[in-house]
Amino acid sequence: MWQAIAALFGAGVTVLACYAAGALLIDQLCVALRRDERIPLAFVLGAACLHLVIFAILALHIAYWPVLVALLAGTMAAAIATGAWRGVRTESAKPVPPLSKTLQLIFGLCVGAFGIFYLVHAWAPETSPDGPAYHLGFVARELRVHGFEPIANLYAMLSAGVEMLYVPAFAIGRHSAAALVHFAFTIALALAMLAYGRRIGKPWAGAAGAILTFASPVVGIAGSSAYVDVATAAIVFAVFYWTEIWDGHKDEHKDGHKDERRGLRLLIPVGLLAGYAFAAKYTAFPIAIYAFGFVAWRAKRIRPLLLMAGCALIMAGPWVTRNWIWYQNPFAPFGNGLFRNPYVHVLFEQDYSEWLRSYGLPSLRPLPLEVTINGSTGGIIGPVFLLLPLALLALRYQAGRRLLLAGALVFSTYFANIGTRFLIPCLPFFSLSLGLALGESAPLLAGLMLLHAVVSWPPVIKRYSQSWRLERFTYRAALRITPQDEFLRANNSGYSIARMIEAKVPAGEPVLAIGGIPDSYTTHEILVSYHSAGNETLTDTINMGWSDGFQPSVARIFQFPERKARRMRVLQTAQARHREQWSVHELRFYDRGQELPRRLEWRIQAWPNPWEVQLAFDNSLATRWRSQEVAAPGMYLDVDFGREESVDEVRLITSSDIIRTRQQLESMNAAGGWEKVADNPRQVSQPVPPDIRRMATYEMHARGVHYLLIHDSDFGAEDFAGDPEAWGLNEIGRGYGARLYQTIWK
Amino acid sequence: MVWLHTRWAIVAGMKRWTVLGACVVALAGMLTSSACQNMPGPFAPPVQRQPLADFRPYRISGIVNMSDADAQTRFVQDITGLQAATWRWTGKRPTVRVMTRSTENLKYTIDFAIVEATLATTGPVTVTFLVNDRVLDRARYTHAGSQHFEKPIPAGWVTAGEDVTVGAEVDKLWVPADNSPKLGMILVRMGLTQ
Repeated sequence: MWQAIAALFGAGVTVLACYAAGALLIDQLCVALRRDERIPLAFVLGAACLHLVIFAILALHIAYWPVLVALLAGTMAAAIATGAWRGVRTESAKPVPPLSKTLQLIFGLCVGAFGIFYLVHAWAPETSPDGPAYHLGFVARELRVHGFEPIANLYAMLSAGVEMLYVPAFAIGRHSAAALVHFAFTIALALAMLAYGRRIGKPWAGAAGAILTFASPVVGIAGSSAYVDVATAAIVFAVFYWTEIWDGHKDEHKDGHKDERRGLRLLIPVGLLAGYAFAAKYTAFPIAIYAFGFVAWRAKRIRPLLLMAGCALIMAGPWVTRNWIWYQNPFAPFGNGLFRNPYVHVLFEQDYSEWLRSYGLPSLRPLPLEVTINGSTGGIIGPVFLLLPLALLALRYQAGRRLLLAGALVFSTYFANIGTRFLIPCLPFFSLSLGLALGESAPLLAGLMLLHAVVSWPPVIKRYSQSWRLERFTYRAALRITPQDEFLRANNSGYSIARMIEAKVPAGEPVLAIGGIPDSYTTHEILVSYHSAGNETLTDTINMGWSDGFQPSVARIFQFPERKARRMRVLQTAQARHREQWSVHELRFYDRGQELPRRLEWRIQAWPNPWEVQLAFDNSLATRWRSQEVAAPGMYLDVDFGREESVDEVRLITSSDIIRTRQQLESMNAAGGWEKVADNPRQVSQPVPPDIRRMATYEMHARGVHYLLIHDSDFGAEDFAGDPEAWGLNEIGRGYGARLYQTIWK
Repeated sequence: MVWLHTRWAIVAGMKRWTVLGACVVALAGMLTSSACQNMPGPFAPPVQRQPLADFRPYRISGIVNMSDADAQTRFVQDITGLQAATWRWTGKRPTVRVMTRSTENLKYTIDFAIVEATLATTGPVTVTFLVNDRVLDRARYTHAGSQHFEKPIPAGWVTAGEDVTVGAEVDKLWVPADNSPKLGMILVRMGLTQ
């Protein structure tokens, strides 16, 4: 039970501190807000501010429990002491018509019923796929080392603006506390949307929009897990909301220097939140374009834009700078073709992006049905959203035009990742537009809300969709009547694997895994095959043990009259097809049948992927240099012998999966130019070393990785299981659909 | 004067926008140029890996690739020496011995090729697929080219942890002109998969 209380307490104090920070800033800015809009807006604004402080705490490596508690308590105390908590100085006196009884009933019923379901799910032990994996995996790790660490993992490179809030929550209440913080964003979003409807004088449309978003199945499951999507939607919507507040203030106070200054102040939250949207999720950045464009259009001056840009930079800048310093790429893990680095391979990024753009769907035509009903893209937004084209009717209102423009901009990044979750940030805009489209027709909007609520109710969804969704009302797990460990073992096989690793692997030892597991349930670093360039290369080596196509079974031999050369290179001259890269296990130079010894004076380089060139010169046939880009003319492997050497033969040892590549051998002449020595190398078969499996695992061992996790469903799993000893492995654990191996070497 | 003031305001405004644009371009330039600075210099050769002293050949495998260096240790009969990187000629009934730790979802698997020149002499051939000398299936091939066959093995045919013979029998063989041994098919891989 104490786990349940700790989770609630951790989330509670984090959420209240966010609200307090936002209330303090709003108080300083003297922004008059109604109570119903101040609560959600202050919470989101405060989250932005608090994230920055936590970023600083982690950067300074002082993320100790007392520091975090002092931060939360201090923020709340300051807000209470100054009166900002209650908004004494900033309470808007502007009258707003109260909600009708019917609307109160429908809205209260929907939000209440779904809210309790979500609350219980968030409070229960975290079983989502990504939450305990990378969202909380890095949070747990940062808390263990009390600060940031440069982690070669593509998920660690993403901005983590919302995860920063999970740090204090997790420190107090572990996983469920983080999920509950996200749930608070889900509630805040619904409240903000309702408040917006009231602000524009259309409470029914606001309520309908809020319910359409809040009850959406994917919002329910993501918004009650330790994800960041609904929080991002709340931040994005808050940016829009603040631009509307600024615009409203501007119209009310067209004259007067003092009011102009106050208007400028209103742009501070806009800028901060626009930057925070980027910090929360890269794909949310278009809301900054909307905000800047809107303010530029309405203000027609630069000063407001500069102020906003400065504020946005405060929020987004630390993440960009961190990536620039640590990963040599400000936008890591994207843009690796431009900002080349040793952490993410260019071809991986292309392949992964391609998959995210399709999710394996043969075409995007079925996408509307997939995201609304079937859910093969990971969850559904609900069948009612098939009515979305009707939202265009909202264009008859100014508010509708603005909502649709902002929504369209936020939606513009969706096709980079067509997962249903990636629709969540634009959902508030489209939901409100749909509400507006039906005008203020209370019966129509009430019907729409109730219909959506019924078809989105978790037990109803399973009648028409097998998508990722909330399934059960897990109150026993939430209250820990069902023990946490028991619940997690029954609902997340990855949890059991994580605990097996925790029990079998000595502290501090990393584990290489082909597939991911929920990292945050183990203290070990899990090196998942595709999470970084280094892991990918190590996995390629391991796969070489069982996959014929990867093995060094081919030699390409250049033979030519003996010549003196100080520097030679093998140049790739053909354009391969998509995904086929150039790879070289070993590059050897010979003179009269004797291999030239690789002296320390040699200097070797490659283009592209220069960081891994040594893999072609390490005398191991279980490793290979790969271009990590589609093989193209101009790629090369270059050797400077450090002195003139006699050479009459060059051998490239490669694999049979390299087909459409052509190479020529070149030598550097006295003038520093390259001249062709030979082309069309003779291709011959070459026997694969019988101990290639053990050579592969030895390479892993030599790099300090002594443990290997193979899921039974992984490619090659049966080969490992068939004869671990031949692999140089001992099986030290088995179960839950996976086997855990340890290398035999000490 | 009013006209002049208005025009100046527009120009001044434009200047500000130009300055802002120039700042953005300069920032983008800085970013892009920094991208070119990431390349490492040349490396020295790394420590040379020495052969492993404690080699132990792979014993248990469900599938035998003809390119495997230790493939010959699994041959039972009718498979010739290595012809290329990945295939071998067979006789009438190529057979390999494999072992598997589990009998769940086992499938007989073979990749082979019928050569046009032999097919022209023999005509269509029938291949019988065998597991522990029991006939799993038969297939008739009328065209030359690469072939893949796989079929689940009925329960009880194979025992986990014991040797299993996996074979294929060609009904008609090709006799080379120089009276060298009769040839059946080109074999790439054969065995059991899960």
